[in-house]
Amino acid sequence: MRRPSDRAAWAGIGTLVLLLVALPLAGLGWVPGTALPIYAINLIGQVMCLSLLAIAVDLIWGGAGVLSLGHGLFFAFGGYLCAMHLLRTAYAATHELPDFLQFMGHGGFPSWWRLADGAVTTTLAVLLLPALLAFVFGYVSFRSRVNGVYFSIITQALTYTAMLMMFRNDTGFGGNNGMTGFHAIAGLPAGGLPATVLLASLATAAVLLALVLGRAILASRFGRLLAAIRDDEPRLRFLGYDTLWIKLAAWCLSASIAAIAGALYVPQVGIINPSLLDPSLSLEVAIWVTVGGRGGLLGAVLGAALVNLLKFWLTAAAPALWPFVLSLLGLLVVLALPNGLLDLRNRSRDWIVDLARAPLPLLRRRTVR
Amino acid sequence: MTPADAPAVQVERLTVVFGRFVAISDLSFSVRYGEVRGLIGPNGAGKTTLLDVLTGKSRPRAGRVLVDGTIDLAGMSEVARVHAGIGRKFQKPSVFEDLSVRDNLDLACRLHPRSLTREVLERGARKRDRIDRMLEIIGLTEQRDATAGALSHGQKQWLEIGMVVVQEPKLLLLDEPVAGMSDEETERTATLIQSLRSMERSIVIVEHDLDFVELVADAVTVLQDGRTLFEGSMAAARLDSRVIEGYIGR
Repeated sequence: MRRPSDRAAWAGIGTLVLLLVALPLAGLGWVPGTALPIYAINLIGQVMCLSLLAIAVDLIWGGAGVLSLGHGLFFAFGGYLCAMHLLRTAYAATHELPDFLQFMGHGGFPSWWRLADGAVTTTLAVLLLPALLAFVFGYVSFRSRVNGVYFSIITQALTYTAMLMMFRNDTGFGGNNGMTGFHAIAGLPAGGLPATVLLASLATAAVLLALVLGRAILASRFGRLLAAIRDDEPRLRFLGYDTLWIKLAAWCLSASIAAIAGALYVPQVGIINPSLLDPSLSLEVAIWVTVGGRGGLLGAVLGAALVNLLKFWLTAAAPALWPFVLSLLGLLVVLALPNGLLDLRNRSRDWIVDLARAPLPLLRRRTVR
Repeated sequence: MTPADAPAVQVERLTVVFGRFVAISDLSFSVRYGEVRGLIGPNGAGKTTLLDVLTGKSRPRAGRVLVDGTIDLAGMSEVARVHAGIGRKFQKPSVFEDLSVRDNLDLACRLHPRSLTREVLERGARKRDRIDRMLEIIGLTEQRDATAGALSHGQKQWLEIGMVVVQEPKLLLLDEPVAGMSDEETERTATLIQSLRSMERSIVIVEHDLDFVELVADAVTVLQDGRTLFEGSMAAARLDSRVIEGYIGR
C-alpha cells in the first residue's frame, strides 16, 4: 500500500483547482467560445460526488484497514435528507404535495419533515445524522472486536436491511419510487444551467477539500495511529491505546463525507430511490478505490473518475457488457497492479526490467522459491 | 516511590482453564522490583498463558494478580493494565511495518496516557529526547527513518522491546526475545536487557534458550503442566532432578 508521491498529489490537486475555476467560466459561457454542454457539466458533477464517496471509503479502508461494503447507506442517508429539503422547498413554492404522499393518503407532510425546512438544519443533519448512525453501528461492532471480513459483511447486511426498509411504501420516504420533482436548488431552477454549474462546482470543491484535509489527517499522528491499527491492532492496544475510539472517529468522519457526497449527488441526478442502497453500489466503490490505489485518497478520486466515466460511456454504448468489463477491470488491477493505477509508473519500470532479463516472460517457467 | 518490600507483581493461586484443558493450576508466583526473572519450562507448561493473564488477554478462572501489592488487576481492560504499568513484547515480532522506526517509537512514547486527544495533538518536540535516547539504547539510531518492515528479524525484536520500554513499565514481560536470533544478536539482546535493569522495574523473560536465561536472569521459575516445578537460580535448576526429568533432560 504505497502512498502516492507528493508530486502526484499536487498534480491531482492542481487539476481539481483548474476544474473548479473552469466550471463557472466555461459552463456559464463567460469566456466566449468555451461553452460546455450542460450534459458534460452534470457528468463532471456526478463523477465528483462518486469520487467523494470513494475518498470516504479510502479514508477508513486505506487508512485503517477497515473495509466497508456498505457506504451506500451513508451516501443514501445524505441523499434522502437533501431530497427531503428540496421537496419541502418545492412544496413551499408550489403547494403541490409529492405524489408518493398523495398515493399513501397523507393530507400533508409528516410533522418531522419540518426538520428539512431550513438549509442550515438540513446541512447539519447531513453532517451529523449519518455520523450518529455510524457511531452506534461502529461502537457495537468495534467494541465486540468484529474485524476484517466479518465487519465488511455486516456493513453490507446493514445496507441491505436499509434498502428493504426503504422499498416499503408505508415508511413515508417514497418507497420504491423514491423522491423526485425537485423544483429549485438554492433558488435556481432545478436542471437549469446555473444550478447545474453550481452543483458541479460545489462537488468539485468538496472533493478538493476532502482530498487536502484527508491527506493532512492521514499524515498526522492520528493517521499514523490508523496505519498502526491496519498493521497490528492488538499491538497498539497493548501500547495502551483504546483502539475503539480511534477507529470510531475515522469511521464517523468517513460516514459524514459519504453523506455529503450523497447530498450533492441527489440534486444532480434529480431523483433518489432505494437503488442507492443496493449492495452493488457499495461493492463498486471498493473496486474504484482498488483500481485507483488505496491509502492516499488520490487513487480513490482517480479510480472513481475513470471507472465511472467508462461506465457512463459503456452503459450507453453496450450496456450488457458493463458487468463483465467491471469485473475484468477489478481482476486485472488486482493481478497486475496490486497497488492500483497510481503505482503504474513504478510497476512499469519493474516490468521493463523483467522484460530485459527474460524477453519472453510469459513463456518462462516460473520457479517457486 | 515504590514500596521496597511489596513485590512488583504477585500472582496468587491462579487457575486458567480453556474448555477442559487446565493451562495453569493453582499457581503462585511473585517478582520483586529490580529483579530479572526467567520463566522456563516445556511447551504447554503455561508460560505464555501466564503472560496472557497478566496483560488481560486471557481471564483466570480463580486466583488474583496484584501489582505493587495493592492494585488488583481483576476486571481491568488490556488498556488499563498498560496504564497500571504492565508492558509486553510479543513472541512474534509485532511492530507497525508500514511506519518508520521513529514513528513506531513516537506512537509508543506517550506523554498523555489518559487522553487520546491530547496525545494526538502533541507536537512531538517533547518526545524527541526520549525517542532519541531509546533509539540509542536499542541500537537503531542509524535506521530511525527506515520503514520498520524493512528491518531484520533481530532489529524488529529490539524495536518492539524499545516500544515497550519507552513506556517505562513497572513490569516488563518479554516473550521469547531471542527466538530466531543469531549468536551475535542474542549477545546484543543480553546486553540490552542488562541495561534495562532498574530498581523501579521488574523484568520477566519467557525463553527456551537456557544459556541466555542464565546470562540475564537472577532467578528462574520452571513451570510444568501449569504448576511451579522449581524456583531458584538457573545453575541450581540445571542440577535439580525434577527439572532434568521434566524439562531439560527431555
